[in-house]
Amino acid sequence: MFNIHLKTALGYIRRSPFQAMAATFVLTLTFFVATIVSVLVYSSSKLISYFETRPQVIAFLKDTAKDTEIADLQHRLEADERIKEVKYVSKEEALAIYKKATSDNPLLGELVSPSIFPASLEFSVMDLSFAQGVIDEVKGEPIVDSVGFTAALGGEASLEDVVTRLRNISTYLRIGGIIFVGMLAATSLVVLLIIISMRIATRREEVEILDLIGATQGFIRSPIIIEAFVYAGLGVFFGWIIAFILVLYLAPNAVLYFGEIPVLPKETLGLFELFGIILGIEVASGVALALGGSLLAVSRVKKLK
Amino acid sequence: MTQESHIIKFKNVTKRFGGLVALDSIDFEVEKGEFVFITGPSGAGKTTILKLILGEFAPNSGEVVVEGKDLRNIKPKDLPFYRQTIGTVFQDFKVLHERTVSENVEVALAVLGLSESEWPERIAHVLSLVGLSRQANLFPSQLSGGELQRVSLARALVVNPKILLADEPTGNLDWDTSGAIMELFEKINKEGKTVVMATHNQEILKKHKKRIIHLEGGKIK
Repeated sequence: MFNIHLKTALGYIRRSPFQAMAATFVLTLTFFVATIVSVLVYSSSKLISYFETRPQVIAFLKDTAKDTEIADLQHRLEADERIKEVKYVSKEEALAIYKKATSDNPLLGELVSPSIFPASLEFSVMDLSFAQGVIDEVKGEPIVDSVGFTAALGGEASLEDVVTRLRNISTYLRIGGIIFVGMLAATSLVVLLIIISMRIATRREEVEILDLIGATQGFIRSPIIIEAFVYAGLGVFFGWIIAFILVLYLAPNAVLYFGEIPVLPKETLGLFELFGIILGIEVASGVALALGGSLLAVSRVKKLK
Repeated sequence: MTQESHIIKFKNVTKRFGGLVALDSIDFEVEKGEFVFITGPSGAGKTTILKLILGEFAPNSGEVVVEGKDLRNIKPKDLPFYRQTIGTVFQDFKVLHERTVSENVEVALAVLGLSESEWPERIAHVLSLVGLSRQANLFPSQLSGGELQRVSLARALVVNPKILLADEPTGNLDWDTSGAIMELFEKINKEGKTVVMATHNQEILKKHKKRIIHLEGGKIK
């Protein structure tokens, strides 16, 4: 039974290739943008997560601090549930880090000695909300000279500012993306609505005949709904596959640019998993769009006779 | 004659379209397996009778009873299932132009919800009956008027209806082709189907000696 409806729907598409192309193009564009926005949202959330969890807080120790005092503070920090990944960096290690950072200008490295670099305890917090409290507490320690941050995007005074700024960017990206995709989805819905309405108008004679021979409304409407599903299906597939190919093409450069920040899954399987999830959501959206568009068009024509 | 022998019964039926009275208190019955002509000049109400039987609209007053069912009691959602038991043939053929002869017949079986495995045999049988076996894969644009009417007839017959309604089925055909189509209707009627045919073709009425319901101005004369 489904075959005859599918055959009818494909017949309509074949007879009106330009309408079919218009619908497919608009839906392809919608799902292409939706896929790209989804990837950007994923990457931005990974970026925030990275900055939130990486070791960011550095407690610079006074030169007078004894090894036992340092060890004691380190143990206390490690025992603190709000803190993770506590690492002691000696004066020598600090110099090595400095030399590595200034390797393009060896003269800068030669001019300094380990004695000018303070030893430090580096750690990160389990949640950013703990950061300020922990920092204030650590600042109060007698062997701590000062507390600093390793990340800044441009003039932020604290780690929280950095993450807040990233969160703002991410929020704008999400809101902008949702609005843009929403507008495209609305356009797709209208295009589907117009095309399906035109189809109903051109099918009047056929509908009249089907009605006379006892076709139910479901039977008459099925090819129309299937046609909408074909457009949505093609739109989802092409939009998704084009975006997937584009991301696969750009992924090596993105991974190289962001270095250790996992803006995209590094394993192929992970990338496929991400795109699989996006495809699943888009298929569900495509079904909703096709059903919404076709049923709305059918309901606008109050009586299909 | 028992009540059950009536397959169609019109009881004091009146149908008005605005101020125009299409049918005025008419009464008639059609027996099971009967062949009845409804005749009269244009506008006499012939097509209105067929449409009332088909349930396209309801009478303003009176009863239309088909196979013991008062059509007023059929719910709109059940109307398609009622129509599936009636075959219809029209003057303008009403074939689906984008489908082949075979597919036109196929649609009726699909509407009926019959299993696809049963389609080929039934389609072949009915196309053979109307003499269109060789044209099965042709499109309507490739057929003559007579052949188009045969397609329409094949589509009506394939669902094995008890009643066949025909509205001027020979109206667009030449005399020879009309004769061939009428022979088909005769054959179908002999197989036990009730045929109600609206026509104003006097030659057909003379040639085929059947009961005639003559209408004039919406009344039976």
